Amino acid sequence: MTTNGSRPRMVTVRVQRFNPDVDEKPYFDEFQVELTPAKTILDALHEIKTAQDGSVTYRRSCRHAICGSCAMYVNGKNILVCNTPLRDKIDEEGTVTIRPLPYLPIIKDLVVDRSSFWEQYERVKPWLIPSADVPEKEFRMSSEEVAALNKAETCIMCGACYSACQVIAMNKRYVGPHALLKAFLRVLDPRDMAPSERLADVGDQDGVFRCHTIFNCIDACPKDLDPTKAIETLRKLAQKRQAFEAARRDRQRMLNEPIASS
Amino acid sequence: MIEHEVIIVGAGLAGSWTAMVAGQRGVKDIGVLSKIHPLRSHSGAAQGGIAAALNNARPVAGTGPRGPLEPVPQGEDPPDSPELHMFDTIKGSDWLGDQDAIEIMVNEAPEIIYAYEHMGCVFSRLPDGRIAQRRFGGHSAPRANYAADYTGHVLLHTIHEQALQHGVEFYSEWYCMDLLVEDNVCRGVVAMDVLTGEIHTMRAKAVMFGTGGYGRAFEVTSNAYANTGDGVAIAYNAGVPLMDMEFVQFHPTGLYEHGILMSEACRGEGGYLTNSEDERFMERYAPDKMELAPRDLVSRSEQTEIDEGRGIGPDGKGIYLDLRHLGAEKIKARLPQIRELAIDFVGVDPIDDPIPIQPTAHYSMGGIPTDADGQVIANADGQVIADADGTPVVGFYAAGECACVSVHGANRLGTNSLLEASVFGRRAGHAIADFVQNGAELHPVTGDPAERNRQRVARLMDGAGSESVEAIAQELKQTMTDDCGIYRDKERLAQAMQHVGEMQERFKDARVMDKSKRFNTDVLAAFETEHLLTFSEVIVAGALAREESRGAHYRTDFPKRDDEGWLKHTVAHKGEPGEGPRLSDKGVNIDWDRFPPQERKY
Repeated sequence: MTTNGSRPRMVTVRVQRFNPDVDEKPYFDEFQVELTPAKTILDALHEIKTAQDGSVTYRRSCRHAICGSCAMYVNGKNILVCNTPLRDKIDEEGTVTIRPLPYLPIIKDLVVDRSSFWEQYERVKPWLIPSADVPEKEFRMSSEEVAALNKAETCIMCGACYSACQVIAMNKRYVGPHALLKAFLRVLDPRDMAPSERLADVGDQDGVFRCHTIFNCIDACPKDLDPTKAIETLRKLAQKRQAFEAARRDRQRMLNEPIASS
Repeated sequence: MIEHEVIIVGAGLAGSWTAMVAGQRGVKDIGVLSKIHPLRSHSGAAQGGIAAALNNARPVAGTGPRGPLEPVPQGEDPPDSPELHMFDTIKGSDWLGDQDAIEIMVNEAPEIIYAYEHMGCVFSRLPDGRIAQRRFGGHSAPRANYAADYTGHVLLHTIHEQALQHGVEFYSEWYCMDLLVEDNVCRGVVAMDVLTGEIHTMRAKAVMFGTGGYGRAFEVTSNAYANTGDGVAIAYNAGVPLMDMEFVQFHPTGLYEHGILMSEACRGEGGYLTNSEDERFMERYAPDKMELAPRDLVSRSEQTEIDEGRGIGPDGKGIYLDLRHLGAEKIKARLPQIRELAIDFVGVDPIDDPIPIQPTAHYSMGGIPTDADGQVIANADGQVIADADGTPVVGFYAAGECACVSVHGANRLGTNSLLEASVFGRRAGHAIADFVQNGAELHPVTGDPAERNRQRVARLMDGAGSESVEAIAQELKQTMTDDCGIYRDKERLAQAMQHVGEMQERFKDARVMDKSKRFNTDVLAAFETEHLLTFSEVIVAGALAREESRGAHYRTDFPKRDDEGWLKHTVAHKGEPGEGPRLSDKGVNIDWDRFPPQERKY
């Protein structure tokens, strides 16, 4: 019911359903949801789940694009559903089609099994390996050194890039854009003690040299990060590891000292 | 039956610190349960900073409280101190914070920040390479250490990654449903593996809760869907009392109609709050601190403006947060996430237009009472033990937002929550390592607790009733917002008390729609709603009993603070079925020589 008496505009939301315990293959259910200006796709899913069919299953938590739970495949693109207005994704037929992230096993409906994604994340040893000899206060880092990380520290591990990657689609041995971005973050961080080992780890055929530079990861990233560029950087560093190692040793000798102003 | 030496529930900053420290200390067998993947925890949503008197930045001399900041030159007298941080926190708490615990927190603050930095946390930096600091509400020095406006995110990822190194076993997407306490000894938990729907009894020598806050009991909130206060309700059901639950913080700047957090850093960087008449109305309420008064005061001021007809937006229930004068460069560099959220959710670019905001339920000051080592302090009769010689709940620990140490008292200062979760999570890790390494044992459990909880699920699936879980949840949130919100009075609270009781009754007939075992989030939502109902009653009971105004608890019928009658913590014990909470109290730790109660003006 709207105040001006006109009929509310309804949107058809098509949700891919699949419970492997009972269904032979995935199928679609259609739901009608009223379009309002502030409604996000996650709001629409919540409305469907709580008012129409409680068995519709998806992950969500923070609802403002920081927790990384709700990456899904909507109208042919990986997005976060929490920060995407419903009105922005209505196709010519007045429909929004929601499917789980591609190339990953389906647990139920829109919930996928990210096991391979997390295994690759752990494989690159995502933690910084600090010096055994830490200063009393903080290590000094210049703003340029922080900027060189290219915001890789803001990756929310949603998996949108991973499941958009054509190489991952074919080959789950590939480390993947998310984990290589993490490796990049650690390799570029002047505080990390093992950049050379990291480069050796990711500098093989399952690592940076497997990337085909298709750029799908960049298109898919909801945080506007650039895994492809990070992979290219790692590739170059892997090719000239010795010079890089020497430069890092020099830098770490000064790491407890104020940055000279330029 | 699953067994561990230590079980930690919740994998945000508090739980992850405990896991990492216990692991570093050589505890071999640690299981961490989280109902969502650890990196999805709500600590990651914190934006503006983490407090510590590092003395890296100071105001340029002679520029006043809103002037520019500059690096503190090497060798010059430090302008800030833990002592000053302590005073600000006590004043912010409206003298309800326990001063011994606050002292521990502020003294450990600098080394916690340096620990994060050494573990690889990417902070914003000053030109000389030190960690950058900004102003925050209620703090009299710039001591918010930050990573742009995603500070919680980088801290959470940093600490999770470090915990991964120590052989901690993560039970990702396991939902804790029950805490097993018999004869005042904690014996483990019951949890559901969400993927399979199987319910397991899990025994441990020590259990630690870092389960987060309870803002989801309110209609408009900055909190994640996950912040349903499960741990608080589960502990209460197991006979552990809850403390100071009536103190719920409303953050002044939630995104209009969404409640999503717009960091206090917006005001820390110099943002203005304006009403429909384009006035910076904080002049009337806090002429000295203006927009950087503490959150309770700013939220009340906004609500008064709205109630008196000077709100903005179609329904007049908003306020403007104006950042335009900061300029595009500063907004992009210091507040990139804020800008992105404002554009995505309300179509406003803060560079060009003011952001519509409104107060939003944000932080739970109350929770499970603990000492400064995370040890839960209640004896077998449910009475809180005030001194260290009392009998605690053996083997049960809590830290972070679900706990009440209490360092925040009646109102938390911004940037003190990341600090609290880190400091007391770490201390709980050490306490648990000591406990386990000094010969703690696995204790038997009576009966079959897992089976008891399977029956709860069966009732939700197969019972005859037809109440909708969501309808009850919505009604509860509306009731808590209308009758137990920013402004409270006896009549409305009494009404809320009755209403919550009725909803608890109705919930007995609640049924879920999804009857499958696999990844049943419909069942989880039902348990979460049951938990909201459980602790909401305690919030309302405490608010009704406390006939004064202090910090975030404001009674229009008792608008003054009453130190004679109410300078004490509220303690709520679960009564007999149908009886409601039994209230008692606990004294506040005050250093009467150094920090006696004063009038709280900003």
